[in-house]
Amino acid sequence: MTERQVILQINFKSGMPIYLQVVDQVKAAAASGALRPGEMLPSIRPLAEELRVNRNTIAKAYSELESLGVIETLPGRGCFLKENHSGLRKEVRRKLLIAEIDQVIVQAHHLQVARDEFLELLHERMDVLDVKRRASKDHKKEG
Amino acid sequence: MTSSAPAIQIENLSYSYGSAEAVNGLTLTVQPGRCYALFGRNGAGKTTTMKCLLNLLRPQRGHVRVFGLDPSKQEVGVKRLLSYVPDQVAFYPWMNVRETLDYLASFRERWNRKTEHQLLERFQLDPAQRTGSLSKGQRTQVALIAAICPETDLLVLDEPTSGLDPIVRREFIETVIGAYQDGNLGNRTIFVSTHLITEFEGLIDEFTIIDRGRVVATLDSDHARHRYQKIRARFAQAPPELDFGAALRVRREGRELELIVNGTGPELLERLREHNPEALTTEALTLEEIFVATLKS
Repeated sequence: MTERQVILQINFKSGMPIYLQVVDQVKAAAASGALRPGEMLPSIRPLAEELRVNRNTIAKAYSELESLGVIETLPGRGCFLKENHSGLRKEVRRKLLIAEIDQVIVQAHHLQVARDEFLELLHERMDVLDVKRRASKDHKKEG
Repeated sequence: MTSSAPAIQIENLSYSYGSAEAVNGLTLTVQPGRCYALFGRNGAGKTTTMKCLLNLLRPQRGHVRVFGLDPSKQEVGVKRLLSYVPDQVAFYPWMNVRETLDYLASFRERWNRKTEHQLLERFQLDPAQRTGSLSKGQRTQVALIAAICPETDLLVLDEPTSGLDPIVRREFIETVIGAYQDGNLGNRTIFVSTHLITEFEGLIDEFTIIDRGRVVATLDSDHARHRYQKIRARFAQAPPELDFGAALRVRREGRELELIVNGTGPELLERLREHNPEALTTEALTLEEIFVATLKS
C-alpha cells in the first residue's frame, strides 16, 4: 500500500472553513478515482506543513471523514480510503443529496440557466467525472 | 495551576510609557491547544502585551495570567510553561551555536536533543559558528530551536518573522506546525503577534485586532472568513442608488459596485439581484483584508 499524493488546495477566499475544504477535496478525489479504496492518505504532520495550516485542522478534517465513513484509521499505520463509503441508509443519503441539489437549483435560477440547459450540464459534468474515473482505472491496470 | 485554566488570560490590561498609552483596557482569553494571534499595526501595543506576559513589564492596571499563574508573582512557574521568540533576537556574541543552545538548555527541565539535532540540520546551521556572526534569519532560527526543544505547553512569538526573507519565513511557519505541534497534539498553545498576517493565515484559529492599545475585534478565523465578504456587481447602466448603510466600504466605479460587508452579505446579495446585475460575485476576505477593512472603517 503506497501513500498517494492527493493534491489539496486551500482557498482562503472561498469563505468555507479550512477543515471542510479538506473534507470536500478528499471526497472529490475519492469520487474521481484520484484516490482509490485502500490507498493511504498523507499523514497529518506533512500535510499540515505542506498546506501550512494548523495540525488540529487536518486532524479535525480526518476525524470528520472517518465519521462520514469515507476513510478509516488503522492505529500506527495511518488513514486509508475505505472500500464502501457510506454507512448511511439510502433515504438518508438521498435526503443529504437533495439538500445539495436544491442549492444548485437556486443558484441556476439566479444565473438564468433554464431547466433543459441545467440538465444537459448535469449530464456533461457526470460524463467528465466518468472519464476521469476510467482514466485513473486504466492507469492502475498499466501500473 | 489548574488544568482547566486558560493558557492566557488578559483582563483589562493597561500600560503607559509616561503619558503615552501603549495598552488600554485589553481583555482576551486563549484556550489551551489553540493558535491565537494578536494583529495590530506597529505601535498598536502588541509587544507591550507580550512583555507583560513574560514579566518584562508589570501591568499598571488589570492583570495577566498564564495557565492561572501570575507572571509577576510566580515568574519561575510561568517561565517553566512557556517559551518565547522575540522580534529582536540577541545572544552572547562570543558563544557559538552549540554553546548557546547548551546554555539555554541549562535553564530548562526538558530539552529534546533529537528535535534539536533535526532542526539544526534542517536550518543548515553550523554548531561551531559564533552567534555574533549569524545573519538575522539564522539568529531567529536558533531562537526557534531554543523555544521548541523545551517542549513547553505555550509558545509565544512576538513578530517572529518580520525582517526575514521569504524562505526563512516559510521554514519558520512549517517548523512551528511540524516540530512544535508534534507532541501532545491539542495541548500545544501558540500565541503570536504579527502584522505579516498572510503567512500565518492557515495556522490561526482565533485572533484579536488591536489598535492604539484597544481591542477592535476578536474573531474566530473560519467564522470571520465566512462573515466578511467582498461583493462585486456590474450593471447594464449606472449601479442603483441603494442604501448600503450596513456595508463597511462601498466603491462605485462606472457600472461597477464593490462592497465589503460583515455578516450582511446574503441580504445585500438578494437586494442587488433585484436590480438584475450583469455579473454578481462574492468572495471571502482573507484575514489580512479583514484586518485592513476593520481598521479603515
